[in-house]
Amino acid sequence: MTMRFSMWLSGRLLVPKGESKYARLRLVRSAALIAIVMIPLVLALIFMDGMMNGITDKYILLQDGHIQLHVEDPLFDSQYDVSAIDPRLESADYVVSGYGIVYSRDTTAEVRIKGVDISYFNENRMTQLEFTGEPLKKEGSLAAVMLSTTIAQKLGVEVGQRVAFMVVPDSSSSVVRPVLANVTALYDSGYHELDSSLLFMNRDDAMRYFPKDRNAYTELLVSRDHVDDLGAIVATLESAMDKNFPYATWDEFNGTVYQNFITSRQVILLVFMMILLVAGVYVSSIAQEMIQDSMQSIALFKTLGATNSNLSWAYFCSVMVVTSIGLVAGVSLGLLIGSQIGVLLHWLGNSGLAGLQYYLLDFRIVISWRDILAISFSMLVISSVTVRLSLGRIRRISPLEMLQQD
Amino acid sequence: MTKELLRFHTVTKTFVSGQSQLVILEDLDFVLYSGTSVAITGKSGSGKSTLLNIAGGLDKPSAGSVSFLGRELGALNDKDLSAFRNRHIGFVFQSHILLDDFTALENVCVPALIRGARQADAVKRAKELLDRVGLSDRLQHRPQKLSGGERQRVAICRALVNAPDLIIADEPTGSLDEESSSGIETLLTDIVREEGKTLLMVTHDTQLASRCSTVYLLHNRTLQEME
Repeated sequence: MTMRFSMWLSGRLLVPKGESKYARLRLVRSAALIAIVMIPLVLALIFMDGMMNGITDKYILLQDGHIQLHVEDPLFDSQYDVSAIDPRLESADYVVSGYGIVYSRDTTAEVRIKGVDISYFNENRMTQLEFTGEPLKKEGSLAAVMLSTTIAQKLGVEVGQRVAFMVVPDSSSSVVRPVLANVTALYDSGYHELDSSLLFMNRDDAMRYFPKDRNAYTELLVSRDHVDDLGAIVATLESAMDKNFPYATWDEFNGTVYQNFITSRQVILLVFMMILLVAGVYVSSIAQEMIQDSMQSIALFKTLGATNSNLSWAYFCSVMVVTSIGLVAGVSLGLLIGSQIGVLLHWLGNSGLAGLQYYLLDFRIVISWRDILAISFSMLVISSVTVRLSLGRIRRISPLEMLQQD
Repeated sequence: MTKELLRFHTVTKTFVSGQSQLVILEDLDFVLYSGTSVAITGKSGSGKSTLLNIAGGLDKPSAGSVSFLGRELGALNDKDLSAFRNRHIGFVFQSHILLDDFTALENVCVPALIRGARQADAVKRAKELLDRVGLSDRLQHRPQKLSGGERQRVAICRALVNAPDLIIADEPTGSLDEESSSGIETLLTDIVREEGKTLLMVTHDTQLASRCSTVYLLHNRTLQEME
């Protein structure tokens, strides 16, 4: 007995001929249902990874940088090419930061004030922002601020108008007084949560308004491929400049956000596995249905000399081919729809879905091939186990059952 | 000298249903020699089909033993028993029992493919046999498109495709009209003789039984040779 018969029978089961219209429909339906399970899994994976990376990028590029070197004075002037020290470094910006309250005629907003030089908005950061007006352009003696469109809407102000702000001192001995500022530009990072609390101010003004309690540091960005080398990059800097720097990395000051992402991802992958288990049970039901419909044929094959192993292989291969077709179709369609997820989110956003304000509507598509392969492989493994269990039915079919129709 | 092909040694077969026990065959001794044709007749329910099932390795005796070419069938595991049926036995049943979704040609090819023959070789042999029984123009027809006589001819070809030692036929003309029966009787006995095979057949048809070299009557759970 060889595998030749199993392969031949498997082919016949996969391409049923003659009157087997129902058998053909069942195969198509089964593959379609597997695809329908896989599409949302792949879509959810793309959405989750793209969203997490997008939000992380916003926090890193606009709020905290990859590395903060906590040194009071500027380490480099704004034109200095920091990649000359370490090619993994993309930029270094001296930043002054603090907290404050912004007032308009009608309302107030609590904000984090970030004092930066205009060179802070380099090519890398500009990919995350859309501007209206001229960022931080100084006119007269008033401070120049750039609000997010979210804060501006809350305060009811526009470019060219004035707001009052008051810094919140760390020390109770400081004298607090409100000052006026020009709104020279509005920005929109696309992420409501970040925009609702971040205000950019001309750095020289920020240094003036946070004279004693200012939190000043050098914010470093590194290239995307080296985000896991932050410690080594600082070591290179220290070595090159012959100094030791107190520093913090982005995942430390966004520890909660970072940990939430990791936990969410793990939970979602666990949910995926549960869905795959259910899908595996469905795949085993395809095998059961095929066997149930061919009991007499199986009994006849056994009478003619087919072994349990021959028949099990034939049915196993057929079901797994159907599963694989559904899997490939589902993953392909998931990728196709996933590549257009931005369009989908914008459409949902425009339709007034309130919950979307907490998500990015525009982010770089990230396809985690490793996870997609892991999900596909898990689907095949789970299906192969459940199908093998179902195929035990073949063993229990006696050749004599065939004679019952005689 | 004719070779001993099949031997039943004090074979008993009982069926248990709840508390009751029904003895179908009892201490039955029977030898079938190679190249002979044997018909078994008897009343309905006398155990003829059970005897054939045991001879073909489809069922096992409750007591006693069955040997084929000196090899005890009771000692074979499922896999070896499957191989035994595939290589040594050709089955022809009363209502042909063909695979409805397969063509006549594919139905005949199945035992050869199970044996491990290349598809081209199986098709060649199946075509030869179907041509020999006058069905060369029905190769791609499915069973439901064939008449009862044609289906039984396909079943005979399927039984012969692996050139088995023994053809087991259970009422091969039982479901056919008189004209078709006559054709199948001639075909079955002639083709088995021409191929040099051994035939073990159960039939109620006295005309068909008379074509065989030996006729047995299964009566009171044992076989009696008829003159």
